[in-house]
Amino acid sequence: MRRLSLRTLGPTLLGILAFLGVLAAIAGRMPLVLLTLVINLLIFAALAYSINFITGLTGYVSFGHVLFMAVGGYGLAYGVGTLHWHPVAGVALGALVSLALALGIGAVTLRFRGVYFAIASQVTALAGFYIVLEIQELGGGQGIVLNVGFEPIAWFYTIWVILAIEVGITYWITHGRLGYGIRSIRADEDAAKTVGVHAAALKLVLFAISGLFAGAAGGVYYWQGSGIFPNEAFSLTFSLIMLAMIVIGGMGTLLGPLFGAVAVYLSSQYFLTVLIGFEFVIIGVLVVVIALFLPEGIVGTLRKYVPELRGLIE
Amino acid sequence: MADFVALFLTDLVLGLLLGCVLAVIAHGLNIIWGVAKVVNVAHGEFIMLGAYGAYFLYLYGGFNPLLSVPIDAAIGLVVGMGFYFGFLYRELRGKESMGLQSELVTLVSTFGLSLVIVNIAQSIWEHPVGILWSPGAAQVGPVPVPFGGLYVAVVSVALIALTDLFLTRTYLGNAIRAYTQDIPATQLMGINPTVVAAVGIGMGFSVTMAGGALLTVWLPTGIDPTKIGILYAPISFVIVVLGGPGKMWGSLVGGLTIGLIINVGQLFLGGSIALATAVAVLTLIPILLFRPEGILR
Amino acid sequence: MSEPVQAEAPPAAPRSRRKVLAIGIAFLIILVAVAATAVYYLTLPTPFGGTIKVGFSISLTGQFNVEGKNSLNGIKTVLNWINGHGGVTVQGKVYNFSLDYYDDQSTPGNIGTLYPRIIQNDNATFLLAPYSSGLTTAAAPLADSYDKVMMSHGGSSDVIWTGSTRRNLVEVLSRASIYLKGAVDWLHANHPSDKIAALYAADSFSTFATQAALGYAQSLNMAVVYNQSYPTTATDLSTQLTAAKNAGADDLIGGGHYTDGLLIMNQLKTTWNAPPPKFVSLLVAVTEPAFQSQLAGSANNVTGPSQWETAVTYSPTFAQSAGLSWYGPTPAEFTQLYGSLNNGDVPAYHAAEAGASLLVLANAIQRANSFNTTAVRAQLGSMHIMDFFGEFQIDARGLQVAHSMVLVQWQAGAKKVVLPADIADGSCQYPYSGA
Repeated sequence: MRRLSLRTLGPTLLGILAFLGVLAAIAGRMPLVLLTLVINLLIFAALAYSINFITGLTGYVSFGHVLFMAVGGYGLAYGVGTLHWHPVAGVALGALVSLALALGIGAVTLRFRGVYFAIASQVTALAGFYIVLEIQELGGGQGIVLNVGFEPIAWFYTIWVILAIEVGITYWITHGRLGYGIRSIRADEDAAKTVGVHAAALKLVLFAISGLFAGAAGGVYYWQGSGIFPNEAFSLTFSLIMLAMIVIGGMGTLLGPLFGAVAVYLSSQYFLTVLIGFEFVIIGVLVVVIALFLPEGIVGTLRKYVPELRGLIE
Repeated sequence: MADFVALFLTDLVLGLLLGCVLAVIAHGLNIIWGVAKVVNVAHGEFIMLGAYGAYFLYLYGGFNPLLSVPIDAAIGLVVGMGFYFGFLYRELRGKESMGLQSELVTLVSTFGLSLVIVNIAQSIWEHPVGILWSPGAAQVGPVPVPFGGLYVAVVSVALIALTDLFLTRTYLGNAIRAYTQDIPATQLMGINPTVVAAVGIGMGFSVTMAGGALLTVWLPTGIDPTKIGILYAPISFVIVVLGGPGKMWGSLVGGLTIGLIINVGQLFLGGSIALATAVAVLTLIPILLFRPEGILR
Repeated sequence: MSEPVQAEAPPAAPRSRRKVLAIGIAFLIILVAVAATAVYYLTLPTPFGGTIKVGFSISLTGQFNVEGKNSLNGIKTVLNWINGHGGVTVQGKVYNFSLDYYDDQSTPGNIGTLYPRIIQNDNATFLLAPYSSGLTTAAAPLADSYDKVMMSHGGSSDVIWTGSTRRNLVEVLSRASIYLKGAVDWLHANHPSDKIAALYAADSFSTFATQAALGYAQSLNMAVVYNQSYPTTATDLSTQLTAAKNAGADDLIGGGHYTDGLLIMNQLKTTWNAPPPKFVSLLVAVTEPAFQSQLAGSANNVTGPSQWETAVTYSPTFAQSAGLSWYGPTPAEFTQLYGSLNNGDVPAYHAAEAGASLLVLANAIQRANSFNTTAVRAQLGSMHIMDFFGEFQIDARGLQVAHSMVLVQWQAGAKKVVLPADIADGSCQYPYSGA
């Protein structure tokens, strides 16, 4: 592994780090409305990076990723509601439970290819929903209401740390030797295996990481919502938004998930006041168009067709 | 004990009927998957469109929902061919099989499509889709057999048999089967793969929308249309995998299995529909692990 | 020329008459002028102080879009009434209300961005909560952090107030735990040996309301023989209904929303029919007009709880006899105003509960004679009034304690309010016969 020094870090990573750095510096002085917007943007960006680990990098489409986000939320709810921990500890609990679950599920489902994996992930999320409905300690059908206050600064720094770590790991994976192995899985898994790539182990590690961070982001999301209700928490809409973000941004790229999060989340805020109700229609159309005509996403397509940018964005 | 036996028999019968409904709903997906090797993530939304079709035909034309089935099927044929030319043509034209990249593209683009359809439907139509045509039930011993369910079961099996006959006994049907096995060989036999693929996929959508119409008979009290996709799409996928993608009667086998697990499973899981459904959909995992080609040989 | 002597002396009589006349007319003119000025000055309109901005998010799209739109229409109706009836007077000035609202798309994630915008950017002085317990839960902490009064009109789950300490969240509607209390009370009073079966949807509201009812029934020593929830996606409840029947139940409570209510009713016909349950009470579905039109005869004698119906007989006279003060339109006036603003539509209870939240807020502001949050919240905490929606009084936590749910029952094709007895227009029929 190359030694990482500031000089060798790509401009994209530096750009993202600078962006995050500026946000952290002005967080305390930002107008409240802007701060809450940024917090939600960071949550969605964290979700986008989490699904990027598995779907973006390996091409295994996870339709059921909402499961990890919900599990993270339930971890938070259980930690704060039943164990009376500090919410940050609850977020950590949610993230760890998600990680364990991802390891368990991934060990089985990652053996299935392409379409079969996608369906299996959707099925596990659906089964997870039905099972949680019957668990009384997690509130059953009723859900859990939490005794937490409005703490935007705490939310901001928690999700900031989560996102910063994710970006760092994404960079490290895509630039290290691991990155070669992973890209080869996406291109042709069987061929990759023949040249000694430990595909199964790599996929599992990536899936576990994606579960960890989806759970962490979910924990912060439900901390903000001060409660979790199963019928909403397991909604397929979250999975769809996560996929939309990386499809639009660019799967497997470093900038793609952030770009996708900005595109999807900020535009959705616009739709709260104008063209009410059409947000998902437009996102859906955008996903269809990009999937068919710009399958590398915006960032990927820019890199492909604008050679000058290749050194700059990744 | 007598109570339990009565309940068990009731659940058995209702499970079989439910299984037939699920089978026909999954059958369309089976055909599309078998022909084009495409998994239509928006499958649930096309079922919903079929249900709406029957609903509006009932509302404005007074059509008995069973009569809407052939009409919906005809509409589905057209929709399916449109779907092929709109979405798949670019990806499949000239290719010998679906590459991984194409698979990804169709998965993602069809999921985008599902978002579009569901949300347009949600903004235009707010109410649950239901046609309260209740032909009553016959009491066979301890089991109340709903006539609506019976009709649906009969039509479902008939539809599956029809498609099977078409694929094995007609020239076009055989051409479609040839296409699913080996595209270059099909071309060598002088068959235009585009026509064959279009018809095959059209047939798949036709059955899907007919299934949607049948669903309104099965659920006379209506179902929230936005929930149809969430529930029936994953179940359809599981059924097709259970039976074996591309095997026509596999839809029935898969459907009956799932229907029985859901209905009879409730009895053994303390009356919990939630757990029975979870178990039913999770059967996907062992099947993929131990018998990925499906139950049918 | 005969008499040149009396030339200087003016004739007294004619001059004094003109003088009197002149003084008289002058006096009259001054009198009229003074009177006119007095009348003009005393009837001048009081100085206009401005508008009070009330901010909230409401679900215009997403899964709560129907309830959200109804609620918004109810709020606008009451707004129209308040502004058209002299607004509120604070410190001698008259104020009107204005609304500042956004669509939250039924998504909790939007609450965290919308309410700060409403509070800080738009400078709303008072807040209403969003629709549904889930969204109200998400919005509640903001009311306390930013010290604004927030009126809850669509979030009834007790746990919103009991699971957390709320300072500024005030509940206008009845809490979820008493939704079925009226039905259970009636059963206990008239058929105490009946055995109860509960079958309800696994969502936060239905589960909470039904389980609370069961707990209450058991505290009254009524037997609960069946207790099962089903996921909202369920399409077949025959096993559950048969099991409930086999458990020997006489009565059935629960349900969830419209489609599952219909499903239960439809499947009762084939699974629990000879004899059918003697008493049926289902959440939400029963109050819809379509319930009766879709089920025809089998809807007869089915009951259901409702926060409000157009037929309720709350009135200023009733308030007076109860020793309470009245504020706002009568139920009939509200219904009529709503209809005139909404193409002749009839308001459902969502519209009424939301409208009432604005109404109660306005009354509290007027009583407090101030816009200060603490003063207004203190008024809300101590006032006990009646309005078209019913009684209003909260406990120390902010939970509503005086408003009563009404129980409706379909009788011969018409929806009657059967409980509470003092505002009913029909009496509760028993048993349910299935036809």
